[in-house]
Amino acid sequence: MRAVGSSIPRVDAVDKVTGLAPYPGDIDLPGQAWMKIVFAGVPHARITRLDVSRAQAAPGVIAVFTAADVPVNEYGLIMPDQPVLCGPGSTPQAQIVRWEGDHVALVVAETQAQAEAAAKLVAMEYEELPVVTDPFQALEPDAPLLHPEEFPFPYGQRDRRSNLLLAYRLRRGDVEAAFAQADVIVEAEYRTQAAEHAYLQPEAGLAYVREDGRIEVIVAGQWMHEDRAQIAHALGLPEEQIVVRYPAIGGAFGGREDMSVQIVLALAAWKTGRPVKTVWSREESIIGHHKRHPFVIKAKWGATREGKIVAAQMDVTSDAGAYAYTSTKVLGNATLMCLGPYEIPNVHVDARTVYTNNCPSGAFRGFGAPQGHFAAEGQVNKLAAALGMDPVEIRRRNALREGSILATGSVVPAGCTALDVLEEAARRAAESPPEPPVTLRTSLDASRRRVAQGRGLALSFKNVGFSLGFPEHCHAWVEIHGEAEMERAVVGCVGADVGQGAHTVFAQFAADALGLPVEKVELRVEDTDVTGSSGSSSASRMTFMAGNAILGAAQRALQAWEDEERPARAEFVFHPRPTTPYDPQTGASDPNITYGYCAQVADVEVDLETGHVLVKRLISVNDVGKAVNPQQVEGQIEGAVAQSVGWTLLENFVQENGRAVTQRLSTYLIPGVADVVEEIVPVILELPDPQGPLGARGMAEMPFIPTAPAIAAALHDAIGVWFDELPITPERVWQALRERQP
Amino acid sequence: MHAFEYVAPHSVDDAVTLLQESGDAQVLSGGTDLIPQMKEGRRRPPLVVDVKHIPELNELVYDPVEGLWLGAAVPCHRIVGNGAIARAYPGLVEAISLIGGIQIQGRATVGGNLCNASPAADSIPALIAHRAVCHIAGPKGPRTVPVEDFCTAPGETVLEPGELLVKIHVPAPPPNHGGAYQRFIPRNEMDIAVVGAGAALVLDERGQVIQQARIALGAVAPRPLFVEEAGAFLAGKPVSEEVLEEAARLAREAARPITDMRGTAAQRKHLSHVLTRRVLIQAVQRARGEEAGRRNGHV
Repeated sequence: MRAVGSSIPRVDAVDKVTGLAPYPGDIDLPGQAWMKIVFAGVPHARITRLDVSRAQAAPGVIAVFTAADVPVNEYGLIMPDQPVLCGPGSTPQAQIVRWEGDHVALVVAETQAQAEAAAKLVAMEYEELPVVTDPFQALEPDAPLLHPEEFPFPYGQRDRRSNLLLAYRLRRGDVEAAFAQADVIVEAEYRTQAAEHAYLQPEAGLAYVREDGRIEVIVAGQWMHEDRAQIAHALGLPEEQIVVRYPAIGGAFGGREDMSVQIVLALAAWKTGRPVKTVWSREESIIGHHKRHPFVIKAKWGATREGKIVAAQMDVTSDAGAYAYTSTKVLGNATLMCLGPYEIPNVHVDARTVYTNNCPSGAFRGFGAPQGHFAAEGQVNKLAAALGMDPVEIRRRNALREGSILATGSVVPAGCTALDVLEEAARRAAESPPEPPVTLRTSLDASRRRVAQGRGLALSFKNVGFSLGFPEHCHAWVEIHGEAEMERAVVGCVGADVGQGAHTVFAQFAADALGLPVEKVELRVEDTDVTGSSGSSSASRMTFMAGNAILGAAQRALQAWEDEERPARAEFVFHPRPTTPYDPQTGASDPNITYGYCAQVADVEVDLETGHVLVKRLISVNDVGKAVNPQQVEGQIEGAVAQSVGWTLLENFVQENGRAVTQRLSTYLIPGVADVVEEIVPVILELPDPQGPLGARGMAEMPFIPTAPAIAAALHDAIGVWFDELPITPERVWQALRERQP
Repeated sequence: MHAFEYVAPHSVDDAVTLLQESGDAQVLSGGTDLIPQMKEGRRRPPLVVDVKHIPELNELVYDPVEGLWLGAAVPCHRIVGNGAIARAYPGLVEAISLIGGIQIQGRATVGGNLCNASPAADSIPALIAHRAVCHIAGPKGPRTVPVEDFCTAPGETVLEPGELLVKIHVPAPPPNHGGAYQRFIPRNEMDIAVVGAGAALVLDERGQVIQQARIALGAVAPRPLFVEEAGAFLAGKPVSEEVLEEAARLAREAARPITDMRGTAAQRKHLSHVLTRRVLIQAVQRARGEEAGRRNGHV
């Protein structure tokens, strides 16, 4: 049996189920001190004075650090627009708080309780500044400015007198002329909400100065080498002075792509000479890390009577929040994904992301594609309804296929399987017609008499890997041990296993390439010293990138083995084909390396009196190219669907005047086990991606993407109402039912 | 958590003495409300009196004639897992089974749910509908208070300093009795009620005429709301969709909800109506012995 393609148990399974696997919060170091981070607690203010004298004098306090203690007081994944610590004594931009979760001081004490008690004694004097929380208001000429200061901006010239962070445009053909000839035109405005990752493990970590004088940071992140670069930058140290180590990681979903505790832990350990530990509470985690972008998408699409989509005009606005994080990258994706996986001859997209005093927005499973597809698939479903056409048929007539030209003017990468997932979803759906409403599910069901049922479909695509000219690459090495016979192999590749099973996949690729049993493959995955960057565990890229890197290294190691080297060791850096950035005027580009495709069919049941929606069945058809570990692939599909049902029906991160309202999991409702779809049908297609390792495509984001528009379409089928705003809560459904009644 | 004294008395008298002497002591039963409140610093009692070692508070006795004696420290899982009690009071047990999740059920108590006095508490509307009475011990001797009078405001009860809730008595269900509790939450489990509705009623021998009925609502007023007029309206009326609908309308009228993160006042008014009708239908079915399907609110 080949290692790739078999559902072997995960390499971390036993340690995780027995509790042995150490997460950052579980680790203690001898002589460690505890750190409490003081959050600003105000959304927009100029700090005039920060008095830490009482905190410094409190029992057990070792040190209190402020902005003045940070060597290079700026950081950011894409651009350094955020101070490590806000307050006086540093740069002009550090005097301003732009978000309630900005850090203003670090209190290091002997115990956690002492650090927490002393943190309350930090006194902040400040002048309040006007708060702007709506991206459209933030674009008004008289809006309060968040970032009038200069910082290195990687997209050319930025207008410092505006809150506009970045705008993109796509132009193809002539939409006005096409609308004039269209038989039907549908227009709608789609709104999506901010959402919390709610990973199991809140932020936590430790840092200490090693015997070799380097600073080691033990933390849960998504990209060790990027963490290292940002820590080194803020501390003004060479990267070699920093080691980043990832123990077990309790989920990420994009929420650990930006810094949380990394830099401040390193700073505190470096300055005090003590090992320093911090653990955030769930509330600190919810307030203190970024959210999924809220989007407003105004859409106008036209089609002919034959169901040919002739024009799409989109106006896309996302709320970046107080700092850039990955907002420009998410915007880049949404600019293309808001058109769905369709070949549309006339396209006009204007997209922008805007600073506000809200919690920063950033990476979250799907990275702009779920929001874009909620609009695109809503439009396609509305066109189908307007034309009286089957939702499968209209997609069949417009979906991308081999050789299709994207709105960017480039050809869709080879291995385009949008139609394959569509047809399989249609076939599976036809095989299982909706069941009559017999299942009792909630306490309400026993006496529930008025229900409506519906079925809806959506199709999606999503890029694999970083886009638009990013220099993608992944390092790996393979070392084969033995004498006459191969005995075992060691693989070095530091891609983060955030819970998705990446490390198991690494071992499977190596075992497969070397012809060894998986048990004979030892992984070196722990820190930045092992090898060069693997890139981020995001953008559904790790299997694709690390798979190619490990296969490349294994081939070279096999050659070395043939050449009688013992151990036979080889390194390989995988570089996928390059991509190019959008042309500023037209959006012309070759935006992405490749794509993954997913189609879903949702069956829903609506309680006509309460508006409660139950998703009874969800068929998810995913082309994964090659299922390296089919059980893990199914797990990703089921997890993505569960998470997306939460985003679609329940979850809403509410902020008022720049303050988080839903600070707890008792008010920010994520799905419980009883809310997950009654029957998820994961369907795996294996149509090879010519660029993928053994044909594998990235797949972990893709099944999140069509769920919301599929459910919205099913609701329309059930009750005749289009829901264009998420989440589709019982209250919104009830209101819609009430308005529908004569 | 702050430092505090902890005492676990073995008698009601000792507990009352401790509570009286301390003044701002907190009673610890299951601890599912108190301990998180203490961890977050919202309550900082100098003394915690753990009542789980007092025999009277652990009593759980059901007798078809005497009714149900429910000690204030009995955890929910003991009640939910008791088949005789579930058969006698399905409407009460389904309310109790909705408190928290499985793990919480192992610790949380109905007595604690009452004393925490949340307007949205799941057990209280059901207890009111079932005519439950609180038995209280205190420095001035024992007294009884009907459950509908026990909570006075959010987090406030009739308990005087030094007083302790010992047990709750629920009268024996008369023949042709049926009860039900339902709550509405946006998800399917583990959430605080947007609205909860409890009903209990007694039909005549032929199952046609409502002899008596009681209805109570949760999360629509500062305290669990006994809608006496809705039950009174039903008394003596033959069962029909119209009379159940009218009682539901009266419950809607009585509800005086607020708008908060969990729901708007308008939605809560509407849900008061829908849930009241639904629990009445279910209670009638149970009184007639014709209920299909499951008994309690769990999946």
